[in-house]
Amino acid sequence: MDGAHVASEVVHTAAEVAHVTASPLPVLLVLVPLLGAALVYPLGRRWPKVRDAWVVVIAALTLLGATGLIPLIAEHHRVESVVHMLIGTLSFSVDSFSMLFAVFTSFIWLASTLYSLDYLKHEQKHDRYHTTSLVVLAAMLGVVLAGDLITLYLCFEALGLVAFLFVIHTETDDAKKASIKYFWMTVVGGFALIGGIFLTFALGGTGAIGPLPAGHGDELIRWAAAIMLILGFGVKAGMVPVHVWLPDAHPVAPSPASALLSGVMIKAGAYGIFRVVTGIFRPEVAETIEESLWHFSEQLGLAVLWIGIATMAIGVFLALQQSNAKRMLAYHSVSQMGFILAGIGAAGYLGSHGAMGVAGGLFHVVNHALFKACLFLGVGAVYFRTHSLDMYHLGGLWKKMPLTFLFTLIAAMGITGVPLLNGFVSKCLIHHAIVEAWEYRHLASLGIAEKIYIVTCGGTAASFIKLIGLVFLGKPKVEYGPEVKDAPKRMLVAMAALSVAIITLGLRPQILLKGVFQPGLHTWGLHGDLLDYYLEHYFLSPPDLMSVVVAFALGFTIFFVGMRFGLFHLHGPKWLSIDWWYRRLARGLIASCVSTDRAYEAVRSATSRFMRRTLSEYGGMAIRVGRRRRLLVATLLTGAPGARDQHFIQHAYVTLERERQDAVRRAVAQTIEKLHSPGDETAVVDETAYLDAVRDIAGYMAQRLMTERMGVLSDLTRTGDLQAARAPFEAVRSELTRVYRPIAETAIANAPRRMRGESVTREVAAAVNAILSNERFDLLIASAIPQARQALGQALEIGASVRHGLPPRSAIQAARADGLSALERAAAWSIEMLALVVDALTRERTGRLMDRPIDETTVLGTRLGIQRYARDIGLNVTVLLVLLLAFIGALALR
Amino acid sequence: METEVTRSFLPLAAFLLPLAGAVLTMPLRRISARVRDITLLALTALAASVAVWLAARVAGGAVYEIYILQLTPDIWMYLRVDALGALFGATVAVLWMLALVYSWGYMAEGHRLGRYYSFFMLSLAWTMGVAYSGNLLTFLIFYELFSILTYPLVVHEQTPEAMAAGTKYIIYILVGGSLVLLAIVLTYFAAGDQTLTTGGILSAEIGQQRLFAIFWCYIAGFGVKAALVPLHGWVPDAHPAAPAPFSAVLSGVMVAAGSFGIMRVLFQVFGVELLREMGVMSMITILAGFTVLFAAVLAVNQDNLKRRLAYSTISQMAYVVLGVSLLGFDSTIGAIIHVTNHAFMKGGLFLCAGLFIRRLGVHRVSQLDGAAKRMPITAAGFAIAALGMIGTPPLSGFVSKWYLGLGMLETGNPLLLVVLLGGALLAAVYLLPIVYRMYFREPVLTADDKITAEGREAPASMLVPLVIVTLLTIALGLSASLPGMPVSLARMAAETFFH
Repeated sequence: MDGAHVASEVVHTAAEVAHVTASPLPVLLVLVPLLGAALVYPLGRRWPKVRDAWVVVIAALTLLGATGLIPLIAEHHRVESVVHMLIGTLSFSVDSFSMLFAVFTSFIWLASTLYSLDYLKHEQKHDRYHTTSLVVLAAMLGVVLAGDLITLYLCFEALGLVAFLFVIHTETDDAKKASIKYFWMTVVGGFALIGGIFLTFALGGTGAIGPLPAGHGDELIRWAAAIMLILGFGVKAGMVPVHVWLPDAHPVAPSPASALLSGVMIKAGAYGIFRVVTGIFRPEVAETIEESLWHFSEQLGLAVLWIGIATMAIGVFLALQQSNAKRMLAYHSVSQMGFILAGIGAAGYLGSHGAMGVAGGLFHVVNHALFKACLFLGVGAVYFRTHSLDMYHLGGLWKKMPLTFLFTLIAAMGITGVPLLNGFVSKCLIHHAIVEAWEYRHLASLGIAEKIYIVTCGGTAASFIKLIGLVFLGKPKVEYGPEVKDAPKRMLVAMAALSVAIITLGLRPQILLKGVFQPGLHTWGLHGDLLDYYLEHYFLSPPDLMSVVVAFALGFTIFFVGMRFGLFHLHGPKWLSIDWWYRRLARGLIASCVSTDRAYEAVRSATSRFMRRTLSEYGGMAIRVGRRRRLLVATLLTGAPGARDQHFIQHAYVTLERERQDAVRRAVAQTIEKLHSPGDETAVVDETAYLDAVRDIAGYMAQRLMTERMGVLSDLTRTGDLQAARAPFEAVRSELTRVYRPIAETAIANAPRRMRGESVTREVAAAVNAILSNERFDLLIASAIPQARQALGQALEIGASVRHGLPPRSAIQAARADGLSALERAAAWSIEMLALVVDALTRERTGRLMDRPIDETTVLGTRLGIQRYARDIGLNVTVLLVLLLAFIGALALR
Repeated sequence: METEVTRSFLPLAAFLLPLAGAVLTMPLRRISARVRDITLLALTALAASVAVWLAARVAGGAVYEIYILQLTPDIWMYLRVDALGALFGATVAVLWMLALVYSWGYMAEGHRLGRYYSFFMLSLAWTMGVAYSGNLLTFLIFYELFSILTYPLVVHEQTPEAMAAGTKYIIYILVGGSLVLLAIVLTYFAAGDQTLTTGGILSAEIGQQRLFAIFWCYIAGFGVKAALVPLHGWVPDAHPAAPAPFSAVLSGVMVAAGSFGIMRVLFQVFGVELLREMGVMSMITILAGFTVLFAAVLAVNQDNLKRRLAYSTISQMAYVVLGVSLLGFDSTIGAIIHVTNHAFMKGGLFLCAGLFIRRLGVHRVSQLDGAAKRMPITAAGFAIAALGMIGTPPLSGFVSKWYLGLGMLETGNPLLLVVLLGGALLAAVYLLPIVYRMYFREPVLTADDKITAEGREAPASMLVPLVIVTLLTIALGLSASLPGMPVSLARMAAETFFH
């Protein structure tokens, strides 16, 4: 083959190959298991038997539907159906290859479902198992029947996420660990996949699973898209280096689920890679095919071919190291996926001559599905009876379980490529494809690849010699009781069905080669006649048979050498394991998230602490500024006290302070005198407390008086009459002592009540007011004060008397308690409010009564607020006035 | 595209019905709590059905408007229902109605219910006003009212944490609100108060510097509400402190109101062409992209469930801004529908969080082990919403992410896919372990917490809203392509922006 891709070789045009018909069958195939799944729980809760029958019927119906595709495809080449859902439409489109996947999927599903009925007796949660199974079946069919990338992605994600329930089904610790790894790899794979799908849109794609138009996007995006798509599918396919979940996840599932996971579900990944390599990145059929267009798909094919070779070799090497039978089978799944990828890769590399690769890869997909499912079921049957999976602890079971042995043996022979069984055909096809690839450009590396392929076949043979030899042949390591016998009938039927299929395909490979692959390749416009050539010249030809002999010879050698020298228990350093690096990566990612959060929190709290400190400093400053401002306001309104005034005020303060102290002292002295006088009838228990009470009251009253007097003086400061008051002040000093007596009397009278904790504020305040009005300190010293001011004082006095004249608050409260009418209540309330207002307005003159916290704190607060506001508004008005004047001035000057 | 503008009282009704509810809350309590609850539900349901009906009509090509009040000779209060507003309004009203029903159960033993319900209804009224505002001043009035008057709901619990969170909230919101006010005043002086119909009312003639000033004032102002990263500080504190039904609407639509404002302003005040000329959107793209990843990274380490969800909201809402900032047709569709889709998904997650708090007394992720056995429906709702949040098909989150991704490619930014997928992957990292814990860990039962192993599912009044939002999450995904669904409304809106 010269390998020249010239336009003339592509004989078919799109018009010729497009025989499309619409049919609801593909949609039904997806919907039937899905709807069937909905009934599993309700049925299982009441009638487990009916449920068992139901799931088998659904699986059988699905198989029937899938086989129904065969005549449709034979006639029309392509069947399509469309559902309006999600973004636009979900479309299903079936060609020969999709049909092939659908048929073998539903066939193996039926077998596995049948098998699971007995097998699950070991397990819990049958309903969950069967629901999962049917949903996954629907998703799997959705993947292979999907007509566009969105539908494919939807089903692929559903498949991956729901199959999680298979992996974790037993809920042992191992299963949980494996399922977590499985889950994250599926999720990451899903993201890679959707990223790749997005990028195909950047390359001018429309979402269809078909060749991308030429000339869109640059090479980098093309590679990025291809890598992400292959990675996304490869995770599911168990492709190296993203295979690490597979050997953990497949063995921990129940055996029928393992058969589905290993036999069928990983084929979803293979299907995807197949479509990527030979569909999406293949030049359009009808276009004039030029060398440059094939260039990319050739490179991609080569890359996939090598991934396949690496996967098969690493898989087989690791499989040989296993002692757990199911784990070994899982590693073989990895290895066998390598065969499939190698075939697909060769197909991509060979371009329009890749028929052999396509056929080999896809034939092997079917074959592997059949024999790997059968092997898992066989090993599962062994586990079902013996509860052991360790190959080194089993042995001699062929006598106890002859039929199981037979079916497992057929499957093992299939996987190792014994002639007349199916594996032989596909392995030879892939081998031919690799050889053709080598011949195409004579790349030396592909020569090596071919050698690795043969060695891998040898390794596979060794591995299954080991399985059959250790488990079924050989000597029993333990005595088996009567419970170890052949598997139940339904399990055997399932295995038998698979075995029959294995033999049939081995004997008559034409069924697939001529019935499926040739028409399928024909629709692409590829050369399907290569397959005829194979059947005529290569099938069961001496060279091919020789290669099997070589492989088996290698296999026996590896087996005996390995057993002899203990080569099957090698343990490499852990850094050699990809898994270990993934774990480190995942942990590192989480740790970096955590440390980012910690760093952020540290920065945030430091910032907020800084801000809070700044705020509190600012707040302190604001208070200081406010105080200064009020001082300024007072000064602005009344003028600053002069130096002489200041001196006099200080002098007066000292004098009045002395008076205050004297007043208190006199009250205390009088009290002591009273207590010690013989005629005293008041029985005072606690003398000290009594004295304290007296001191409190007297102190308060004296303080009030002092404040009042100082208030009068500072008022004079404001009006500028202070100097005139000097002489009178000195003159009235003796008058001031007249208040000692009333203070002492009030204090003594009220002290007992205060001791009991009652409020005496009213009485004391009343006494102080009485003293104040008797004294009239302002009149005493204000001889020089103008008449107008005196009139103002009188007016305020009237206000004060009005306040006193109003009904006392207690009366109002009492009235309220009596339950008055709403009107009366409103009146009482209004009066109370009025009293408060009057009180507030006149308070400035009559003194600050409420120096202590009282019941109506709000009233006090309001009053202070009003006072401050009044003072501040003065400044504001002044400032406004000044501004206004300045404004008017400015206007006038203009 | 043909649009027929109809005068109609319906937009006003959608605003007045909840307002009436707010006014009636206190008097109705006099009669009985039951009457109050039913009346409020009836009013909200009526408002929701009006909003949904309007959305359906608008999807059919109609536009509704009403002049309410003449403030000055030049300025009207004016409501106008276009595609963008109709979708947002319908989302708001439906989610609010569900949260209201949920409140019955959640707040059953709560204090100050009168205050709670009346402010809850008030907030709905203002938010409807925001959705239907037809000009900037109307928008401003409703936006400020709704920002400030939700404060009582944030601090409702009146715990010290709630009060602190409330203070933080009000400071952030007031600062943001002032910036919006400033921006609107500047806009008014630059272009007058025009209705928000055309594709941009500002023109390049007013000068580059003023344009930039207006632009950044808007972005900073709405960015506070939309929780763009340096301005997001209030979100992670306000959510855990607020009652769960309010957290649901807070996260679902109130944060989205910021994004809604950004959309309104960018597309209808500036207009696509002017923005392209200004060339500032790449900065917003970077900011939003950073927010997506940064908030998601922070969410991973949060043990308080509601706090984790709050960070998730920051991350998800940044997707909206990201989509808008690309100025692409598809990315705008993605941004608009993500508001709706996110509202129901995040609403669902917060309703679940509230159920865990009420039924299990659990606030922390680490205490959720085995919750699915005790609360199967809640756990299922949580799992579905979480998967939707990640963007798993066929749930609604996938649809919005799909359009966002297409928009990224359409505008020639394939590298932004890293942000899109990275954010989704991180969402998986911070949400799915919770689901795993609920389903596959055994509950740790200690003697002193009186948690029984089974049978803790909530009363129907709390479950029904959860079930409905979950169904909406599924349905909005499955039926995304049908006419009348959010995508078609978003497409209409985007067509007017990119005409």
